[in-house]
Amino acid sequence: MELAPQMLVDAILLGGVYTLMVIGLALSFGITRVINFAHGEAIMFGAYGAFWLLTVWGIDPLLSLPLLLAGGFVAGFLVYETAVKRVLHAPHINQILLTFGLGLIFQNVALILWTGDERSANPNWAFDAFEFNMVVVPYGRLIGFLVAVMLVAALFAWLRWTELGRASRALAEHNEAAQLVGINVSLTYGIAFGISVALGVAMGVLVSFLGAINPFMGFHMLVKGFAILILGGLGNIMGAVFGAFILAFVETSVGYYVPNGIGWAEGMAFAILFAILVLRPRGLLGQEVEG
Amino acid sequence: MHPRLTVAAAVAALACSATTGAAAQDTIRVGVPMELSGKFVSYGAPGKRGTEMAAEAFNYKVAGKKLELLFRDVQSDAQTTVSVINELVSQAKVNYMIGPIGSPIVAAAIPAWQQGKPIWLVPGSSSTKLEEVAGAEPMFFHTYPYAYHYHTSEAAALKHYLGPGKRVAVIYSDDSYGRTHLPYVQKYYKEAGYNIVAEELVRTNASDLNPVLTKIRVSRPDILIGLVQTTDAITLAKQIHTRRLDVPYLVGTAYTQLDEWRNAVGEAQEGWLGVTTYLPGAQRAANPDYPHIFPSLTEWEEKFRKRFNAEPDFLDIGTYATAAMLFLAIDRAGVDDREKVAAELRKIDLQTVFGRGNFKPTEGGTKQQAFTDMVVFQNQGGKNVVLYPLADATGKLQPLKR
Amino acid sequence: MPLRDITTPAFFLGAAAALLVSVTLASPQVNDWVFRCCTLIMLATSWNLMANAGLISLGHSAFWGVGSYAAVLTANGLGLSLWLALLPAFAVGVLLGAFLAFATGRLRGIFFAISTLALSEGLRITAFMLPEVTSGAVGVFLKQELRPSQQVLYSLGVLGAIGSVALAWWLSRTRFHYACRAMRNNEAAAQMLGINPMRYRLGVLMVSGGMASLAGGINAWYGGYLDPGMAFTLHFTILSQIAPILGGIHTLVGPVIGSIGIIFLSEGTRIAFGANEGYSQLIFGVVLVIGILFMPHGIYGVYRRLRQRAARPRNHAPTHIHQAAEGTPKEMRS
Repeated sequence: MELAPQMLVDAILLGGVYTLMVIGLALSFGITRVINFAHGEAIMFGAYGAFWLLTVWGIDPLLSLPLLLAGGFVAGFLVYETAVKRVLHAPHINQILLTFGLGLIFQNVALILWTGDERSANPNWAFDAFEFNMVVVPYGRLIGFLVAVMLVAALFAWLRWTELGRASRALAEHNEAAQLVGINVSLTYGIAFGISVALGVAMGVLVSFLGAINPFMGFHMLVKGFAILILGGLGNIMGAVFGAFILAFVETSVGYYVPNGIGWAEGMAFAILFAILVLRPRGLLGQEVEG
Repeated sequence: MHPRLTVAAAVAALACSATTGAAAQDTIRVGVPMELSGKFVSYGAPGKRGTEMAAEAFNYKVAGKKLELLFRDVQSDAQTTVSVINELVSQAKVNYMIGPIGSPIVAAAIPAWQQGKPIWLVPGSSSTKLEEVAGAEPMFFHTYPYAYHYHTSEAAALKHYLGPGKRVAVIYSDDSYGRTHLPYVQKYYKEAGYNIVAEELVRTNASDLNPVLTKIRVSRPDILIGLVQTTDAITLAKQIHTRRLDVPYLVGTAYTQLDEWRNAVGEAQEGWLGVTTYLPGAQRAANPDYPHIFPSLTEWEEKFRKRFNAEPDFLDIGTYATAAMLFLAIDRAGVDDREKVAAELRKIDLQTVFGRGNFKPTEGGTKQQAFTDMVVFQNQGGKNVVLYPLADATGKLQPLKR
Repeated sequence: MPLRDITTPAFFLGAAAALLVSVTLASPQVNDWVFRCCTLIMLATSWNLMANAGLISLGHSAFWGVGSYAAVLTANGLGLSLWLALLPAFAVGVLLGAFLAFATGRLRGIFFAISTLALSEGLRITAFMLPEVTSGAVGVFLKQELRPSQQVLYSLGVLGAIGSVALAWWLSRTRFHYACRAMRNNEAAAQMLGINPMRYRLGVLMVSGGMASLAGGINAWYGGYLDPGMAFTLHFTILSQIAPILGGIHTLVGPVIGSIGIIFLSEGTRIAFGANEGYSQLIFGVVLVIGILFMPHGIYGVYRRLRQRAARPRNHAPTHIHQAAEGTPKEMRS
């Protein structure tokens, strides 16, 4: 079929972007066991940050990325220290509602500050594409993919080879034992949370030139993020990567091959989510889920 | 008294208290529900400005009485709209209402309006569902074109410049907007002798339109029509530009004139056609009978700029003309009476800043419709050039070259 | 802690009667507020019932939405009057609750919450994609001739709220309530006590779902117009949670107090700040965060603590046993 090459390219590029979207969420849940319902807002602030830096000071999103990453980390750490820490051992409902509430606050602060107008960042290179054999590869998408790959690789490297990264994994695997070995739980959690938010912010920077920005954009991504996490297995970072690519492929192929496919494509995430929950709640690579 | 009984009594007392009081005998109250916040604030804000400016032109006095505008924010939310319209219609019991503007908000307002049916002027909503449900109502006055007016104008313009026999692809969003516009595109473009070779649906807020654009590229159209709004209009324009989709003519609806869209898509705006009721820079003479209320267009634009420190758009001027016509009708009737004012409204036929102010029935079933003339324009080099009607044209249709 | 609280039947019936009377006498503006409060009370009580069993719903708008559509579509299709049209609304909610119970099986906590979210969003998209059934994005209007007077609608709202709270109260006195509370704390342990979690989960979800759908149906008749965005909007999910949290989760009056508080807040900010809807949502977020962090038992919890403190004896009797030979009055008054 003549659509297949383009479809494959689109799916792969989308998979990379989706991976970045969820990796932060996977990290924070994997390590702190708190689901951050405000992750979408981290993405949103990243997008606005990149947009304003470009519009007001002319800084290209790729250059502002490191700055925003740092900012995201600090913000995430602070949010952890002030709010999330207190509900670490609280019933699930408190954790969910706390982060949900934080998300609401952030959305509306953005709405009040910047109005609901749609924006988009337009760095010059985002408007170009290269073409070979009838397949169009937009630069913006490609660069987004490469950034995502780099950041995810960096994350895996951090987890594997740095002290803090290994400490985080230890905490995730066996909480009490890790503490016995002298790992500072609170600091490690805070750092993990900070990194998770930073990754969300990075996603936002990508979205700023790939799509449209508005204060409520975070929620849709959050919901998709959950679908991916559950598919891959909650708490398993590698699973999140697989899940991201699988969802990207399913969505793209439905978009191409099903009549009015794009209308249903957005619903694929939920169909998958429900199916997984019913058939195999642990997802692809996750641990057994207690009833 | 037992504390619990006090609470119960207080509840009952509170429930019986009225809030908005009855009007003093010598004020005429006009309800103005607008989207002053939320998703449609870019419609509601000009709605408020236009109405205010019209009231100022009348010095807030009509038919010898004081004119009072009851502005209410419907927050672009259906629930709030129901509450607000209920309050205006059943509590404040206004005889006249102007607004809201956005299609889904107007739709939500209809059942509440039907509780009391004051004179209702709607300077917005191109949805034909509105026409279906409220068009035949004697108190309903529509002062903004319907979806089919958009497409008769655009199809006529394209046919004039390109002739018949072209291939047309349509992208439409899965919401009220896209779905109501689609049948009219199908109808009028077929009548113009064009073939519709592709019709693709997009979900609102979809971030990836690539599958759709790829499918459209395969069908090789000459004309691509985007029946979308806001976010999707931005995403669509950018992704078409990035992919260098080689369709020579890109046709939008009203969004291509909006600053919000143009700023967000940057250079991707080049070549897009659009249709509107008003473009700045047009010429129109003053109305000799009412030079103060309906000055020449340039004078009006100047006044607007001084008053609001902003450029007027099609909704500013549309609501201005609508409100001015209402106030004039009340003045002519001389009394604060719905039937008499409605009769005067139906009789109005004069030149306004916005065009000919005259209510006539439409083929779709609206009894009282004004302002259906539309102007087709194209974005050439960052400026909007009028293409059609030919009498107002400032340029010719240009194909997009990749 | 007993769940039967200050709402003695006398007070409750008194307030109910006052409300019904006020519906005929009050101004339309106040009636509108009362109506919105009542549908919110139904929604909040329904959410609270689920939360009592440890099931956190993040997709309550799913029930609201299907109830809305059922009430309007059956009425338009079959020419039903209000009372008849509400039966399908309730039934659909019960069925959806049952479906959710079977689909989620034994899943709890986060998994359950996320599946409710998925359900809500999935239904929203389905409503868009099936215009033949739901009129899709264009929306559907309730046929004008079927509409009863505003007074009937207001009264129905009040009755719905009263009915919901009464049902919740009745449930709180049955074994059902204690079984749910046991499940909330530890489902495995509850099972050891002979409680069949599946049966109770089914029960909770069916009752709760039916209640929420009924609320949605009544509201849809009031508003007269429906589209998928409106019906399945996240807004109701948020409200359904904030109201019980604000008022006092797991209590009977919590949802009621919370609903009144919410309507006050949102209408208050709308009228005061007018220009920006963002403010009221912002305040909701702040309420939620502060509520969780500092006031986990809501307004009602604060009220109860204050009452307890007032009831404590204020004399000089020592509350600690002192080892010291002499204790000054100051030391003893700990």
